[in-house]
Amino acid sequence: MDFVTGLFPWITNGPLITVQVMSGLSVGMLLFLVSVGMSLIFGVTRIVNLAHGSFYMVGAYLMVTLVEVLPAQEWAFWAALLLAPFGVAALGGIIEIGLLRLIYRRDPLMQLILTFGLILVIGTLVLLAWGPDNKSVSRPDALAGSVRILGQPFPSYYLLVLGLAPVVAVTLWLIFYRTRWGMLIRAATVDREMLGALGVNVARLYTQVFMFGSWLAGLGGALAAPTVAVALGMDGDVLTTAFVVVVIGGLGSFAGTFISALLVGLLQSFGILIFPAVSIVLLFAIMAVVLIVRPWGLLGRPEE
Amino acid sequence: MRMRSRTTVSWVAVLSAFLAVAASAAPAGAQAKPIRIGEINSYSGLATVYTFPYREGIAMATKEINDAGGVLGRPLEFIFRDDKLKPDEAVKAARELVGQEKVDFLAGCISSGVGLAISAYAKEAKTLYFATHCQTSRLTWDDGHRYVAHTTNNVNQYIRALAKKAAATPYKKWAHISPDYEYGHNVWEEFIAYLKQLKPDVQVVQQNWPKLGETDHSSYVTALLQSGAEAMLSVVWGAQEIAFIKQARPFGLFDKVKLFSASVGNPDELDPLGKEAPLGAVTPGFAWYDDGMQKRHPKLAEWVKKYEARVKKEPTLGASWGYASTYIIAEAIKRAKSSDTDKVIAVLGEGYEMEFPWGKVIMRGCDMQAIPPQWTGVLKTNAQGKPVLGDIEESHGKDLIKSCDEVAKLRAAAGEKKK
Repeated sequence: MDFVTGLFPWITNGPLITVQVMSGLSVGMLLFLVSVGMSLIFGVTRIVNLAHGSFYMVGAYLMVTLVEVLPAQEWAFWAALLLAPFGVAALGGIIEIGLLRLIYRRDPLMQLILTFGLILVIGTLVLLAWGPDNKSVSRPDALAGSVRILGQPFPSYYLLVLGLAPVVAVTLWLIFYRTRWGMLIRAATVDREMLGALGVNVARLYTQVFMFGSWLAGLGGALAAPTVAVALGMDGDVLTTAFVVVVIGGLGSFAGTFISALLVGLLQSFGILIFPAVSIVLLFAIMAVVLIVRPWGLLGRPEE
Repeated sequence: MRMRSRTTVSWVAVLSAFLAVAASAAPAGAQAKPIRIGEINSYSGLATVYTFPYREGIAMATKEINDAGGVLGRPLEFIFRDDKLKPDEAVKAARELVGQEKVDFLAGCISSGVGLAISAYAKEAKTLYFATHCQTSRLTWDDGHRYVAHTTNNVNQYIRALAKKAAATPYKKWAHISPDYEYGHNVWEEFIAYLKQLKPDVQVVQQNWPKLGETDHSSYVTALLQSGAEAMLSVVWGAQEIAFIKQARPFGLFDKVKLFSASVGNPDELDPLGKEAPLGAVTPGFAWYDDGMQKRHPKLAEWVKKYEARVKKEPTLGASWGYASTYIIAEAIKRAKSSDTDKVIAVLGEGYEMEFPWGKVIMRGCDMQAIPPQWTGVLKTNAQGKPVLGDIEESHGKDLIKSCDEVAKLRAAAGEKKK
């Protein structure tokens, strides 16, 4: 035990560990919002949307603009947080109808090339629309400071993230398992052809799902905006991590994505404390292990 | 067939008409063959926040020079290429610029990795390369050669200015957070080495090496809070440093640990940080708005006004670098009385000094390294409540930089290593 406490002096520090767990969970929750949209889109349309990080970035940039143009009141932040994701959903809708519809039946490689191209196009459009400067969104005054948790300071904005993401998760679950639309989505992930044969308008369902996935990415971006710099390049960072989350959780699995997002959040949080030198590799090492042991992910289904 | 040939004919007609118009539109004064500089930099993506103002600085200086008759009666012309922040893209562009465009010189770089790659190509192609925006000291030192000149500050000078300021404070226990790549290691090692030289009882209690572009720093914040450090150096920069500061503030990190930063004083970070800026942090920066700066440099205000009239934005350090680099290159050609590579290198090897609106820049002969003034300040709020750099202390790189002898030793050691 002495050896352990000598190596990790924080291990007996209960309050510190609590705070560390909470910030890891906050990061995981944000990751969940982005990843679940990506996973959902893949599950239904079988498209690996590489532009998902770009949607996240657009969500953050829309947040910046909305906070700027709305009157400088406390409610402006909340209004922006509500509106920004819908802007991204609209963008997703345009892309799905205008581009993706044309290539559903093509080679998956074509789809990858298209969504990869979208990264470059959206990146350039964001540069043209918002300019090269870094942007930032201030936290609302009520959440600007910190609260004490077991005597340790903890950013109060993270409490919002910790609270909001589970609400979204539960709502998602209710949609998937308690509504007709959710049933159609689940059916589509199992057998799209059969669903079409049964008279369901699959094309419309795809558009709806793609918009909904985009909305989630936009929400993730808008919610993350106050904790980071809104800048060009934030699309690539989040894409890599979200991709890892989706792969670990199992492509198309809702619960798997939730578990794996929290896992990855905690892993990043503690990885740095325990193995600072290899914390970067850790994430990919875990992904590799999962892929070896369960190639279809934690809660995914093996391909038939 | 007839259809097609008719279309071809009409296309040729349109094309030749276009060419005729284009030719007549060329200004009469530009008949002398331009001196062409192939400029490779990152003009898409996350570095544009630095490179766009930098390119404006180049454009401003080029226009001034050409309006005044050019260099040796020839206009100066920059041909820009995007390196996408990738060394191999940069080398591809360099090859194209030298091979097809037949440029006289190469210039550019914001990423240190890109700068070193272009430099290696320049050496092989025997084309003179002016590194203009990246800052690693390796360019002209460890990896220096006769085909590379560095027209802007290097890490060694500004980080020594900061370390000198740090040595004057009572803090002995230090920690840092630096991105885990060339620049991050270069800055931290230069900083701590000089600080220990000035103040031998300084000790490093904790180190953090996040990856470049990491967005979540909460664990590093926790580690720093537990480290027992009295002061810290932040080498993360741009969007990453903004994220780090926004995440660290609510934890009260900067109340506990005094912040020194390599880059937080630049407007690309201060403006978006706004009221979340870490006031009291000690950092270098180009504070052209400072009263003391404007008093010491009477021509600075006029330059700023000219820049703002042109660009409709406040200038940045990058803008001043683009501007100065253009003049430094033009001066070398002027002194050589030729755009011939060997003659220009000979002039650079002798060294020269130039006056800029912000002070004297020395081009040192032995390593073809620029030595500009250095400024260090403390973050404060101005009358409008905006975060700015105040209490500016000005020194000159010539009193801080490694000597020609030390550079010779570095080059020899690097040469040994390669063998």
